[in-house]
Amino acid sequence: MSNILEVNNLVTKFYTLDGVVNAVNGVSFDLEEGETLAIVGESGSGKSVTMMSLLGLIPMPPGKIEAGAAFFSGDEGRRDLLQMSPDELRDVRGGQIGFVFQDPISTLNPILTIGEQISEILTRHKGMSKDAARRRAIELLTQVGIPDPELRYKAFPFQFSGGMRQRVVIAIAIACTPKIIIADEPTTALDVTVQAQIVDLFKRLREALGVAVIWITHDLGVVAGVAERVLVMYGGRPVEIALVNDLYEHPQHPYTLGLLGALPRMDARESERLVSIKGTPPDLLLPLRHCPFAWRCEHAFDRCWQEIPPLITVGEQHQTSCFYDLEEGGPRDV
Amino acid sequence: MSENNVLLRVQNLKKYFPIVGGLLGRQIGAVKAVDGISFDIKRGETLGMVGESGCGKSTAGRAILQLHQPTSGKVFFEDKDLTQMSGEDIRQLRPKMQMIFQDPYATLNPRHSVGKIIGEPLVIHGIMKKGSSELKDRVVELLELVGMDPVYMRRFPHEFSGGQRQRIGIARSLSLDPSFIVCDEPISALDVSIQAQVVNLMQDLQEQLDVAYLFIAHDLSMVKHISHRIVVMYLGKVMELTERNTLFENPLHPYTQSLNSAVPIPDPKSEQKRRRFILKGDPPSPANPPSGCVFHTRCPLTEEKCITVEPEFREIHPGHFVACHLADEKGSSMIPEQTILASVMS
Repeated sequence: MSNILEVNNLVTKFYTLDGVVNAVNGVSFDLEEGETLAIVGESGSGKSVTMMSLLGLIPMPPGKIEAGAAFFSGDEGRRDLLQMSPDELRDVRGGQIGFVFQDPISTLNPILTIGEQISEILTRHKGMSKDAARRRAIELLTQVGIPDPELRYKAFPFQFSGGMRQRVVIAIAIACTPKIIIADEPTTALDVTVQAQIVDLFKRLREALGVAVIWITHDLGVVAGVAERVLVMYGGRPVEIALVNDLYEHPQHPYTLGLLGALPRMDARESERLVSIKGTPPDLLLPLRHCPFAWRCEHAFDRCWQEIPPLITVGEQHQTSCFYDLEEGGPRDV
Repeated sequence: MSENNVLLRVQNLKKYFPIVGGLLGRQIGAVKAVDGISFDIKRGETLGMVGESGCGKSTAGRAILQLHQPTSGKVFFEDKDLTQMSGEDIRQLRPKMQMIFQDPYATLNPRHSVGKIIGEPLVIHGIMKKGSSELKDRVVELLELVGMDPVYMRRFPHEFSGGQRQRIGIARSLSLDPSFIVCDEPISALDVSIQAQVVNLMQDLQEQLDVAYLFIAHDLSMVKHISHRIVVMYLGKVMELTERNTLFENPLHPYTQSLNSAVPIPDPKSEQKRRRFILKGDPPSPANPPSGCVFHTRCPLTEEKCITVEPEFREIHPGHFVACHLADEKGSSMIPEQTILASVMS
């Protein structure tokens, strides 16, 4: 399998009146064709800003992409998304890269029928005729499980429930058979039974279309069910990347370990006391000079306060940015 | 916990919100937000209340505290019926029953210092005098109780993070030494690592102060973690009520079963081999609830009777209540394996 997306050392900052917000401080990762990569982090971890930077959706100013490259292997060969002109990016967005955001009501245009919104994508990106676009849109609505698609084609977003609206957004995302779908907290606004429906839909579409998915979320429960690989972010930095089973069974970063301990298990009979991570997330206004997690880490030692830990390979497809070896119980030799 | 240890008893509580329309603004219908719920809460107990959005769980919490005037039904707090009491009498009882809200940003007055916010209930109820050293000592004590440095009492809400604000809200609710607190989604607005801090704090406080919680949340795994018993609500009605482990090991209502199976488990190995039963559709509107059993439109086991007759909320095993025609002592309303498999394939 070849990489469809390679992100190298992305740095995004926001120049605000309060100072410089260091939102993304050097993020690198690869995405293979057809795989699902979850990006996990709490609010302010930089997970959404990373994706917005790739798609050219960062408002500039105040935002600025200061460094990095993002090579996307699309229809026109391997190209850097960050070097593309706004027009070129517009062709990629919605065409070869589809996306689904958290809140479907603010994603959809309230005064256009959902049919028009799906057809618009097809005529814009695929140059389809109005009639062909309509037929394809109805096909897509069927594919995402909307009953009576021909009737619903003419409905407006407010006539749909939250889950149904998210299905429409997904239909738009897959309309041009993209190579990547970026889903930013796609189930967070939904009820748990509806969340299960959408997760299930994603899994089926991924199999049917062979599309790669980047699933951004804070919910490690959902991740366990959908992802093949996981990237954990903290303070605008990647702290751990691993295959999903590896991450949950052998977390190598104290933050990942803490996050997993903070979640109650539905299948546990006795409720053990939750492990809480002391302190609060970092202040992004401070420039990063050391490990962003050092403030809250019980294992932090001198070196953690002196340099920013790079990603260290600790196993097959498993990297962590921590100088402390959790399994050996001492500093790593790196 | 013994039977006579009941702190709060809710009997057939209803809260309808009128829908007005037309030129004359006449009532043309009602949203049946809470439609006849009954349960007890014992002293020092945590009763979890789960359900999807719009199931009436927040309204239930407010109606119990008389923040919404109930449409009908009774709420006994320490054997006194709150629904029959005057506003002033309820105010006298308020110190005993408090509330913690979801959004710690919206519930703290931005112009008041933390010290003032936490001390205000004591002043309002005439327990301590404004500016007295006694009041200051109590505020210091409360801040320490919720794990905050007392020097923070001079600061203002905007200087704190979400988790710290929630601690301030908890300190305020504890100031009058309540025996019952309604916690309405107290951790939903917080990050995962902070949620654990607040939940641990709430459990510690319960142990120290013997306070009972009605813990309202949509996150089933967190509710299971903190609760002794759990109420499952759907469209304004209670579907099932039982001990936490029974609810997860032997759920008798098909809705509980589907909720259980929809909650993701943070473990990829269990997720991969899990049997999943995914409900179709969305919850119907509480303004126009289905006939018979309100769940029948989404239930995979619906029979003729479910569409016409509303199931009684009955005690199947001691302490295990369920509102389903198909549940019996053997628990036959279990969604059969075939249905589960079929729904996964479809």
